[in-house]
Amino acid sequence: MVQNLPQTRISPNKKSGIIVYSLAAVLSLIGLFDALYLAVEHISGRSVRCTIVTGCDEVLSSPYATVAGIPLAFIGAIAYFACFSLAILAIFGYRLAGDLLTILVVLMFLVTLILLYLQAFVIGYFCQFCLVSAGVTIILTILVAVRYYTSLSMRS
Amino acid sequence: MKRALPFVIILLALGIAVGAAWYLKQNAISNSPSILNNSASEMPAGKSGAAAVIEPGAEPPHSIGEAGAPVTLEEFGDFECPPCAMLHPELKQIEHEYGQQVRMIFREFPLVPTHAHALAAARSAEAAGLQGKFWEMHDLLYQNQKLWHGAFDVRPIFEGYATQIGLDVERFKRDLGNEIVEGRIFLDGKRGHSLGVTGTPTVFLNGRELSFESLALDKLRGEIDAELAKAAK
Repeated sequence: MVQNLPQTRISPNKKSGIIVYSLAAVLSLIGLFDALYLAVEHISGRSVRCTIVTGCDEVLSSPYATVAGIPLAFIGAIAYFACFSLAILAIFGYRLAGDLLTILVVLMFLVTLILLYLQAFVIGYFCQFCLVSAGVTIILTILVAVRYYTSLSMRS
Repeated sequence: MKRALPFVIILLALGIAVGAAWYLKQNAISNSPSILNNSASEMPAGKSGAAAVIEPGAEPPHSIGEAGAPVTLEEFGDFECPPCAMLHPELKQIEHEYGQQVRMIFREFPLVPTHAHALAAARSAEAAGLQGKFWEMHDLLYQNQKLWHGAFDVRPIFEGYATQIGLDVERFKRDLGNEIVEGRIFLDGKRGHSLGVTGTPTVFLNGRELSFESLALDKLRGEIDAELAKAAK
């Protein structure tokens, strides 16, 4: 006996939201584990060797690597975990989570710009793990920007 | 159930992140100098009966005085540790008074992360050592500890010291990340851990750890005199 179930259709706006937030969640996980690795190495006082660029130790032992005694990488890990959580909540339809994610990612993007500036012009070295984190944040920013403008255009 | 699913996913991710951090931390501990024991010499069994392993440290060590001197003072120091800076003039005085009778050895033991600039200072001293001026940098770092200890960015200060003692500053800057520099700090740390060093300054007199109280100049003289008398017999 075939039961007639009501058909549910996902709107294009919702569908694009799910794709964007899923990608954001995956990227946040990459950023989270990258930052966790750096945070643990920093707290352990171990030397972090770069394999692609040179200067991991110079960057991580610089005074800019901590904020009020807290390793910046640890703060980064918390930010990425918050991003992941908000992206997951947004996938499941929590609209506020999507808005908060946009604000958080924009803040992270601004911090990333400052950190890139410090590496390039103040410290004079780049750290590959920091560059991975910068890359993740930049892609996250593009994603939330795309999501923001598509949802705006669909609403209007 | 569906309403709980996002929170389950978040908690799961949190659990995995905490687990990964714990694994990385354990991995860092198991690879730390105190556990590794390659190229080590053995010392007699301790009270527990287990053979303890003494690491040789960086070779050759930074030393002043003859290798065959009757008294060897081996200091494990951290350039950012205030008591180490206080001990520095006393050891200079001992060096001046006893001359070739006492051999001084300095071992790197930067207390990371307690002292934010300790590792940078140790690297600076070792990088200066690559240009044959370890002791000059060592002295400047201790003498000026109060000036750089509170600094936000110590690199220009240490580069200034490098200029002051006549180093090739460009080479000095490159050498800060040199593998030899890193290796020497690591090996000295391994030796310190194998000897049970937990803080700085820790000084060994002919292999015997001196108490912190014994590091007062008069007491230190007494300890050295006793060793010299023993050696003269």
